[in-house]
Amino acid sequence: MTRLPAAPLLQRDKLTVLIVWAALSAATVLAWLLAPGESPSATNLDKELVVAVVALGLIKCRLIIRYFMEVRHAPRGLQIATDGWLAVVWLALLGIYLT
Amino acid sequence: MTAPGRDLPATAQSSPPVRERSLPGGVDMWVMVLGDLFFFGCYFVTYMVFRALSVEEFSASQRHLNVGIGVTNTVVLLTSSLFAALAVIAVREGALRNARRLLLATGACGVLFTLLKVYEWHSEISRGHTIHDEFFGFYYVFTGVHLVHLALGLLILGIAVRELHDSRGRRPAIVEQSVLFWHMIDLLWVVIFALLYLMR
Repeated sequence: MTRLPAAPLLQRDKLTVLIVWAALSAATVLAWLLAPGESPSATNLDKELVVAVVALGLIKCRLIIRYFMEVRHAPRGLQIATDGWLAVVWLALLGIYLT
Repeated sequence: MTAPGRDLPATAQSSPPVRERSLPGGVDMWVMVLGDLFFFGCYFVTYMVFRALSVEEFSASQRHLNVGIGVTNTVVLLTSSLFAALAVIAVREGALRNARRLLLATGACGVLFTLLKVYEWHSEISRGHTIHDEFFGFYYVFTGVHLVHLALGLLILGIAVRELHDSRGRRPAIVEQSVLFWHMIDLLWVVIFALLYLMR
Protein backbone atom coordinates (compact mmCIF):
# COMPACT_ATOMS: atom_id res chain seq x y z
CA MET A 1 0.00 0.00 0.00
CA THR A 2 1.26 3.50 -0.85
CA ARG A 3 2.11 6.03 1.87
CA LEU A 4 -0.73 8.57 2.17
CA PRO A 5 0.09 12.21 1.29
CA ALA A 6 -0.03 14.93 3.97
CA ALA A 7 -3.25 16.94 4.54
CA PRO A 8 -2.04 20.20 2.86
CA LEU A 9 -1.19 18.23 -0.27
CA LEU A 10 -4.68 16.66 -0.31
CA GLN A 11 -6.31 20.10 -0.05
CA ARG A 12 -4.19 21.30 -2.95
CA ASP A 13 -5.13 18.16 -4.92
CA LYS A 14 -8.85 18.96 -4.51
CA LEU A 15 -8.38 22.46 -5.90
CA THR A 16 -6.21 21.11 -8.73
CA VAL A 17 -8.78 18.53 -9.92
CA LEU A 18 -11.54 21.16 -9.81
CA ILE A 19 -9.49 23.55 -11.97
CA VAL A 20 -8.60 20.72 -14.37
CA TRP A 21 -12.28 19.73 -14.67
CA ALA A 22 -13.24 23.34 -15.48
CA ALA A 23 -10.47 23.56 -18.11
CA LEU A 24 -11.52 20.23 -19.67
CA SER A 25 -15.18 21.30 -19.88
CA ALA A 26 -14.25 24.68 -21.38
CA ALA A 27 -11.97 23.00 -23.94
CA THR A 28 -14.83 20.63 -24.90
CA VAL A 29 -17.21 23.52 -25.64
CA LEU A 30 -14.47 25.44 -27.47
CA ALA A 31 -13.69 22.41 -29.67
CA TRP A 32 -17.42 22.13 -30.46
CA LEU A 33 -17.55 25.76 -31.59
CA LEU A 34 -14.42 25.29 -33.72
CA ALA A 35 -15.53 22.06 -35.43
CA PRO A 36 -16.00 22.38 -39.21
CA GLY A 37 -19.64 23.04 -40.13
CA GLU A 38 -20.66 24.36 -36.70
CA SER A 39 -20.21 28.02 -37.62
CA PRO A 40 -23.27 29.63 -39.31
CA SER A 41 -21.02 31.23 -41.91
CA ALA A 42 -19.21 29.02 -44.43
CA THR A 43 -15.43 28.94 -44.18
CA ASN A 44 -12.54 27.41 -46.13
CA LEU A 45 -10.52 26.97 -42.96
CA ASP A 46 -11.73 23.43 -42.24
CA LYS A 47 -8.20 21.98 -42.07
CA GLU A 48 -6.96 24.74 -39.78
CA LEU A 49 -10.00 24.25 -37.53
CA VAL A 50 -9.34 20.50 -37.34
CA VAL A 51 -5.73 21.21 -36.33
CA ALA A 52 -7.14 23.30 -33.46
CA VAL A 53 -9.61 20.51 -32.56
CA VAL A 54 -6.73 17.98 -32.49
CA ALA A 55 -4.59 20.31 -30.35
CA LEU A 56 -7.45 20.72 -27.86
CA GLY A 57 -8.05 16.93 -27.85
CA LEU A 58 -4.37 16.26 -27.15
CA ILE A 59 -4.29 18.83 -24.33
CA LYS A 60 -7.47 17.35 -22.80
CA CYS A 61 -6.07 13.81 -22.91
CA ARG A 62 -2.81 14.94 -21.31
CA LEU A 63 -4.69 16.77 -18.54
CA ILE A 64 -6.71 13.60 -17.80
CA ILE A 65 -3.57 11.44 -17.77
CA ARG A 66 -1.45 13.83 -15.74
CA TYR A 67 -3.97 15.10 -13.18
CA PHE A 68 -6.88 12.62 -12.97
CA MET A 69 -4.79 9.46 -13.48
CA GLU A 70 -2.02 11.09 -11.39
CA VAL A 71 0.76 10.27 -13.81
CA ARG A 72 2.43 13.54 -12.81
CA HIS A 73 3.53 11.75 -9.62
CA ALA A 74 4.28 8.43 -11.36
CA PRO A 75 7.70 6.99 -12.29
CA ARG A 76 9.37 8.58 -15.31
CA GLY A 77 8.90 5.47 -17.49
CA LEU A 78 5.10 5.70 -17.25
CA GLN A 79 5.19 9.41 -18.05
CA ILE A 80 7.22 8.71 -21.19
CA ALA A 81 4.95 5.79 -22.21
CA THR A 82 1.74 7.83 -21.88
CA ASP A 83 3.22 10.87 -23.62
CA GLY A 84 4.45 8.56 -26.40
CA TRP A 85 0.93 7.10 -26.84
CA LEU A 86 -0.58 10.58 -26.98
CA ALA A 87 1.93 11.85 -29.54
CA VAL A 88 1.73 8.78 -31.82
CA VAL A 89 -2.09 8.53 -31.81
CA TRP A 90 -2.93 12.23 -32.26
CA LEU A 91 -0.18 12.93 -34.81
CA ALA A 92 -1.16 9.83 -36.81
CA LEU A 93 -4.85 10.88 -36.80
CA LEU A 94 -3.99 14.44 -37.85
CA GLY A 95 -1.45 13.31 -40.45
CA ILE A 96 -3.92 10.92 -42.12
CA TYR A 97 -6.71 13.53 -41.96
CA LEU A 98 -4.57 16.16 -43.68
CA THR A 99 -3.29 13.88 -46.49
CA MET B 1 7.31 2.01 -6.61
CA THR B 2 9.20 5.07 -5.49
CA ALA B 3 12.28 6.20 -7.35
CA PRO B 4 15.03 6.56 -4.75
CA GLY B 5 16.55 9.97 -4.26
CA ARG B 6 13.73 12.10 -5.72
CA ASP B 7 10.71 13.82 -4.17
CA LEU B 8 11.40 12.50 -0.69
CA PRO B 9 8.43 12.66 1.74
CA ALA B 10 8.33 15.45 4.30
CA THR B 11 9.88 14.41 7.58
CA ALA B 12 10.28 17.69 9.48
CA GLN B 13 7.44 20.02 10.47
CA SER B 14 9.41 23.07 9.36
CA SER B 15 9.71 21.94 5.72
CA PRO B 16 6.67 22.01 3.41
CA PRO B 17 5.19 18.58 2.56
CA VAL B 18 6.59 17.07 -0.63
CA ARG B 19 4.98 14.11 -2.41
CA GLU B 20 6.88 10.92 -3.07
CA ARG B 21 6.83 9.44 -6.58
CA SER B 22 4.45 6.48 -6.79
CA LEU B 23 2.36 4.39 -9.20
CA PRO B 24 -1.29 5.22 -8.38
CA GLY B 25 -3.59 2.24 -9.00
CA GLY B 26 -0.81 -0.35 -8.97
CA VAL B 27 1.10 -2.09 -11.74
CA ASP B 28 -1.62 -4.67 -12.57
CA MET B 29 -4.25 -2.07 -13.49
CA TRP B 30 -1.66 -0.04 -15.42
CA VAL B 31 -0.80 -3.09 -17.57
CA MET B 32 -4.50 -3.40 -18.43
CA VAL B 33 -4.86 0.35 -19.07
CA LEU B 34 -1.78 0.57 -21.31
CA GLY B 35 -2.90 -2.55 -23.22
CA ASP B 36 -6.35 -1.06 -23.78
CA LEU B 37 -4.84 2.26 -24.88
CA PHE B 38 -2.63 0.44 -27.39
CA PHE B 39 -5.51 -1.51 -28.97
CA PHE B 40 -7.85 1.49 -29.04
CA GLY B 41 -5.04 3.54 -30.61
CA CYS B 42 -4.82 0.94 -33.40
CA TYR B 43 -8.62 1.11 -33.92
CA PHE B 44 -8.49 4.91 -34.10
CA VAL B 45 -5.78 4.93 -36.77
CA THR B 46 -7.58 2.17 -38.73
CA TYR B 47 -10.77 4.26 -38.76
CA MET B 48 -8.87 7.30 -40.03
CA VAL B 49 -7.29 5.25 -42.85
CA PHE B 50 -10.75 4.04 -43.96
CA ARG B 51 -12.04 7.61 -43.71
CA ALA B 52 -9.18 8.85 -45.91
CA LEU B 53 -10.29 6.36 -48.61
CA SER B 54 -13.87 7.78 -48.70
CA VAL B 55 -13.61 11.31 -47.28
CA GLU B 56 -16.80 12.69 -48.87
CA GLU B 57 -19.00 9.78 -47.74
CA PHE B 58 -17.64 9.75 -44.19
CA SER B 59 -17.88 13.53 -43.84
CA ALA B 60 -21.50 13.53 -45.06
CA SER B 61 -22.44 10.77 -42.59
CA GLN B 62 -20.60 12.47 -39.72
CA ARG B 63 -22.76 15.57 -40.21
CA HIS B 64 -25.83 13.48 -39.26
CA LEU B 65 -24.48 13.02 -35.72
CA ASN B 66 -25.95 15.20 -32.98
CA VAL B 67 -22.87 17.07 -31.69
CA GLY B 68 -24.92 18.53 -28.81
CA ILE B 69 -25.45 15.03 -27.38
CA GLY B 70 -21.75 14.27 -27.89
CA VAL B 71 -20.73 17.43 -26.00
CA THR B 72 -23.24 16.70 -23.21
CA ASN B 73 -21.94 13.14 -22.86
CA THR B 74 -18.34 14.41 -22.77
CA VAL B 75 -19.12 16.86 -19.96
CA VAL B 76 -21.07 14.13 -18.09
CA LEU B 77 -18.04 11.79 -18.26
CA LEU B 78 -15.60 14.57 -17.32
CA THR B 79 -17.80 15.34 -14.30
CA SER B 80 -17.82 11.64 -13.38
CA SER B 81 -14.02 11.70 -13.51
CA LEU B 82 -14.00 14.76 -11.21
CA PHE B 83 -16.13 12.86 -8.66
CA ALA B 84 -13.86 9.81 -9.02
CA ALA B 85 -10.69 11.87 -8.44
CA LEU B 86 -12.29 13.52 -5.39
CA ALA B 87 -13.26 10.04 -4.08
CA VAL B 88 -9.59 8.97 -4.12
CA ILE B 89 -8.63 12.12 -2.19
CA ALA B 90 -11.48 11.49 0.31
CA VAL B 91 -10.20 7.94 0.92
CA ARG B 92 -6.70 9.28 1.52
CA GLU B 93 -8.20 11.73 4.04
CA GLY B 94 -9.98 8.85 5.76
CA ALA B 95 -13.42 10.30 4.87
CA LEU B 96 -14.80 6.94 3.77
CA ARG B 97 -18.50 7.86 3.83
CA ASN B 98 -17.79 10.88 1.62
CA ALA B 99 -15.70 8.68 -0.69
CA ARG B 100 -18.58 6.24 -1.03
CA ARG B 101 -20.99 9.04 -1.96
CA LEU B 102 -18.54 10.37 -4.55
CA LEU B 103 -18.12 6.92 -6.10
CA LEU B 104 -21.92 6.57 -6.28
CA ALA B 105 -22.10 10.00 -7.98
CA THR B 106 -19.44 8.78 -10.43
CA GLY B 107 -21.56 5.73 -11.22
CA ALA B 108 -24.70 7.87 -11.59
CA CYS B 109 -22.90 9.95 -14.25
CA GLY B 110 -21.95 6.68 -15.98
CA VAL B 111 -25.59 5.59 -16.04
CA LEU B 112 -26.63 9.01 -17.42
CA PHE B 113 -23.98 8.67 -20.16
CA THR B 114 -25.40 5.23 -21.05
CA LEU B 115 -28.98 6.53 -21.23
CA LEU B 116 -27.92 9.40 -23.50
CA LYS B 117 -25.99 6.98 -25.71
CA VAL B 118 -28.97 4.61 -25.99
CA TYR B 119 -31.19 7.58 -26.91
CA GLU B 120 -28.65 8.66 -29.53
CA TRP B 121 -28.44 5.15 -31.02
CA HIS B 122 -32.24 4.91 -31.13
CA SER B 123 -32.44 8.30 -32.81
CA GLU B 124 -29.82 7.40 -35.45
CA ILE B 125 -31.29 3.96 -36.19
CA SER B 126 -34.82 5.37 -36.52
CA ARG B 127 -33.47 7.81 -39.15
CA GLY B 128 -32.04 4.88 -41.11
CA HIS B 129 -28.40 5.31 -40.11
CA THR B 130 -27.38 1.69 -39.63
CA ILE B 131 -24.23 -0.39 -40.11
CA HIS B 132 -24.93 -0.50 -43.87
CA ASP B 133 -23.26 2.94 -43.91
CA GLU B 134 -19.48 2.46 -43.51
CA PHE B 135 -19.08 5.43 -41.14
CA PHE B 136 -21.98 4.33 -38.95
CA GLY B 137 -20.47 0.82 -38.85
CA PHE B 138 -17.40 2.34 -37.19
CA TYR B 139 -19.61 4.60 -35.05
CA TYR B 140 -21.60 1.70 -33.57
CA VAL B 141 -18.49 -0.44 -33.00
CA PHE B 142 -16.49 2.37 -31.32
CA THR B 143 -19.33 3.57 -29.12
CA GLY B 144 -20.47 -0.02 -28.42
CA VAL B 145 -17.02 -1.26 -27.34
CA HIS B 146 -16.62 1.92 -25.28
CA LEU B 147 -20.00 1.29 -23.63
CA VAL B 148 -18.92 -2.28 -22.73
CA HIS B 149 -15.86 -0.77 -21.02
CA LEU B 150 -18.13 1.68 -19.21
CA ALA B 151 -20.34 -1.20 -17.98
CA LEU B 152 -17.21 -2.97 -16.73
CA GLY B 153 -16.16 0.30 -15.07
CA LEU B 154 -19.50 0.50 -13.27
CA LEU B 155 -19.00 -3.07 -12.01
CA ILE B 156 -15.49 -2.22 -10.75
CA LEU B 157 -16.81 0.97 -9.08
CA GLY B 158 -19.44 -1.21 -7.36
CA ILE B 159 -16.66 -3.45 -6.02
CA ALA B 160 -14.85 -0.34 -4.68
CA VAL B 161 -18.05 0.91 -2.99
CA ARG B 162 -18.50 -2.52 -1.40
CA GLU B 163 -14.84 -2.47 -0.31
CA LEU B 164 -15.43 0.80 1.56
CA HIS B 165 -17.85 -1.09 3.84
CA ASP B 166 -15.05 -3.50 4.70
CA SER B 167 -12.83 -2.77 7.70
CA ARG B 168 -9.65 -4.29 6.24
CA GLY B 169 -6.78 -2.03 5.22
CA ARG B 170 -6.90 -2.37 1.42
CA ARG B 171 -9.12 0.62 0.80
CA PRO B 172 -6.84 3.18 -0.87
CA ALA B 173 -5.43 0.61 -3.30
CA ILE B 174 -8.83 -0.78 -4.37
CA VAL B 175 -10.39 2.66 -4.84
CA GLU B 176 -7.31 3.91 -6.71
CA GLN B 177 -7.50 0.92 -9.08
CA SER B 178 -11.21 1.32 -9.83
CA VAL B 179 -10.88 5.07 -10.36
CA LEU B 180 -7.86 4.61 -12.65
CA PHE B 181 -9.95 2.32 -14.88
CA TRP B 182 -12.77 4.89 -14.85
CA HIS B 183 -10.43 7.69 -15.96
CA MET B 184 -9.30 5.49 -18.86
CA ILE B 185 -12.94 5.27 -20.02
CA ASP B 186 -13.10 9.07 -19.92
CA LEU B 187 -9.78 9.38 -21.77
CA LEU B 188 -10.91 7.04 -24.57
CA TRP B 189 -14.21 8.90 -24.95
CA VAL B 190 -12.37 12.23 -25.39
CA VAL B 191 -10.56 10.73 -28.41
CA ILE B 192 -13.72 9.03 -29.79
CA PHE B 193 -15.68 12.30 -29.47
CA ALA B 194 -13.07 14.29 -31.41
CA LEU B 195 -12.63 11.54 -34.00
CA LEU B 196 -16.29 10.86 -34.84
CA TYR B 197 -18.06 14.15 -34.07
CA LEU B 198 -15.52 16.91 -34.70
CA MET B 199 -12.91 15.74 -37.26
CA ARG B 200 -15.27 15.88 -40.25
